[in-house]
Amino acid sequence: MKSNLSRRKFLGTGAALLAAPAILTHTRAYAADPVIKIGHVSPRTGPLAGFAEADDFVLKGIQAALSEGIENNGKRYSVEIISKDSQSNPNRAAEVAADLILGDEVDIIVAASTPDTTNPVADQAELNEVPCITTDCPWQPYFFGRNGNPAEGFEYTYHFFWGLEDVIANFIDLWDASGAAKNIGGLFPNDADGNAWGHPELGFPKPLADAGFTLTDPGRYQPLNDDFSNYISAFKEAGCELITGNMIPPDFATFWSQAAQQGFKPKVVTIGKALLFPSVIESLGDRGDGLTSEIWWTPSHPFSSSMTGESAKALADSYTADSGRPWTQPIGFKHALFEVVRDVVSRSADLDDPMATIDAIKSTSLSTIVGDVNWANGPIPNVTKTPLVAGQWQKSGDAFDLVVTNNKQAPQIPLGGELKLLG
Amino acid sequence: MNTRVTRSSRFSNGALAVLALLVVVLLTAPWWAGRAELRLFGEIYLYLSLACLWNLMAGYAGLVSVGQQAYVGFGGYMLFALTIYAGIHPVAAIIAGGLLAAAISIPVATLIFRLNGAYFAIGTWVVAEVFRLSFAQVSALGGGSGSSLPVAIVKSLADSRSARESLSYYLAIGSLILVFAAIYFLLRSNRGIALTAIRDNESAAAELGVNVWRTKLEIYVVTSALTAIIGGLIFLQKLRISPEAAFSVNDWTAFVIFIVVIGGIGTLEGPIIGTIIFFLLRETLADFGTTYLMILGLVAIIVMIKAPKGLWGLISQRYDLEIFPLRYRVQQSATTEQG
Repeated sequence: MKSNLSRRKFLGTGAALLAAPAILTHTRAYAADPVIKIGHVSPRTGPLAGFAEADDFVLKGIQAALSEGIENNGKRYSVEIISKDSQSNPNRAAEVAADLILGDEVDIIVAASTPDTTNPVADQAELNEVPCITTDCPWQPYFFGRNGNPAEGFEYTYHFFWGLEDVIANFIDLWDASGAAKNIGGLFPNDADGNAWGHPELGFPKPLADAGFTLTDPGRYQPLNDDFSNYISAFKEAGCELITGNMIPPDFATFWSQAAQQGFKPKVVTIGKALLFPSVIESLGDRGDGLTSEIWWTPSHPFSSSMTGESAKALADSYTADSGRPWTQPIGFKHALFEVVRDVVSRSADLDDPMATIDAIKSTSLSTIVGDVNWANGPIPNVTKTPLVAGQWQKSGDAFDLVVTNNKQAPQIPLGGELKLLG
Repeated sequence: MNTRVTRSSRFSNGALAVLALLVVVLLTAPWWAGRAELRLFGEIYLYLSLACLWNLMAGYAGLVSVGQQAYVGFGGYMLFALTIYAGIHPVAAIIAGGLLAAAISIPVATLIFRLNGAYFAIGTWVVAEVFRLSFAQVSALGGGSGSSLPVAIVKSLADSRSARESLSYYLAIGSLILVFAAIYFLLRSNRGIALTAIRDNESAAAELGVNVWRTKLEIYVVTSALTAIIGGLIFLQKLRISPEAAFSVNDWTAFVIFIVVIGGIGTLEGPIIGTIIFFLLRETLADFGTTYLMILGLVAIIVMIKAPKGLWGLISQRYDLEIFPLRYRVQQSATTEQG
């Protein structure tokens, strides 16, 4: 991280600053050591900090890989990455994004991890006309959550990740293969993700009905709910053997312990978002064994970095060696975010023209450590998708492993084991 | 020897002149400041306005509210609702949001004015939570997910980017001047004397014929309306609103209380000093994450122990100074002065 105090001197620097963009535009390409500035916003502290736990590791690797700079039109540009903490707060995310754009005058801004980070940053970038690339948030909350119109799209902001249709397809495949009764309980909070997942048309209800499942959805609960008794009794009454939803870890922990107390024993529990991190599963103790979740990235994904040549496994192993902690899914995506940036910077026809950089983003076709990124293939403008599979947390010895148990939607990802039913 | 009763002193006259000059300089900022500075100044003005308004309520009317985020969020949501669904110009929508907030604050006041002291504070917080949960149910405004202000609406403010930035700067400084002038002249009026009496001793004020309930209600309604206007301006800058962001007790109340408490509650100068300190700390330390919040807490504790009346309280007691002349003082001849 870099502090940018000198830029924030309250008085005196005005004239120089006013003139700076004009001078930079004309001189950067001819300067002895031209610099490309990349702004990065990420929730390093606060409730979403788990998503950013590997930030320092990933940024260190990226900086080492880019120490030689990036070549563009025969000219070498050194790279400066300025990373800022959103404190898991959308207000703060908008503030630091504006700081990066207006104060540091970054050439490209990137952000990752949940709509609370990607959306405020993308909104600031769109209005201030700075190219923006984001990831690690399903595309519906990103696109429709920003009042996006698929016919128009956005001009400056681009996103790669998977979408709800992928989660739904994966979950349905997983439940079909489990053999449990097609009677399912839904737990959707009143937040960006919960509203998207529970949306009658765009979310789970319609495709579940089409696939022959009966959904019991008692309604949206407020995040950080402390009592799920109503939900549990509704599920018991309806005879649900499957449970799904999109929850934050504390809400899932509350639900899951109350389900145990009230004797509710579903056969498969597949929850989005809550079950991503090994630390959460460990905190559930033995009750964490056998929970199922969507999987966006594992060390066994058969991809490698376009920047360092490292395989997914090598990247995950080096994180574990560096930090002593188990790998997490966001590592691959954060790395891929900078792979895309490097690729775009190297291909841009004119780095001083944001529109040229946008054209380079639109024509991206890159095999990254999380799969292919190519906005020409997107379901809608501004969005492209990476492969998604589903799997289960399985206890092996003292540790939990996230094992891919269903790859029907992305057969190139190898299976790691078989689905086991819960108690 | 001639004696006369006056409010101004040589210090206050000089200080006001310097301040007026500073305001003129700041009014020309779009010509000399960079984009980042303009935005930062805009944010400072909006925070200072919130601090002045909270100070008016807590410092003068004795209404210690920890629920002002209710009106910040309300103003923000009204901006989004009225521009997106009623097609109103953003500036008109922000003013309309202020009027609607005034209207809604009257029934709210009749409810929470039944509570006193700490109960009143908790009551205001509950009201803010009710606002938050209610807006989280409105799916047209994105429900719990929140919503972005369509780019076309922001662009309707002005065609070019620099014109928009200047306009939003002038809206911020204009609203600060409006808030500050409103408070200053209110406090210099008869009503201000009543308020100061309530601040110093509520039952004595009532005994002297001040209508305490009515005075407090007026302050609450005016503060709510102006807070909602500031809220609209804040979210015009942020471009995105969600219940968590709009009704954030940390961002719109805790930081504001911090500013007023370390600056000096119950003085007009306090919020200015507090805002400067808050932004100095934020701009230098915010990159340290949680450590930053711990330092804020530490500063607040030290100031509260060492200077219970805030930093301005410390200065004004020591040197008997007032930048904004509110108190009456007896002056002997034209030159010497006594408190």
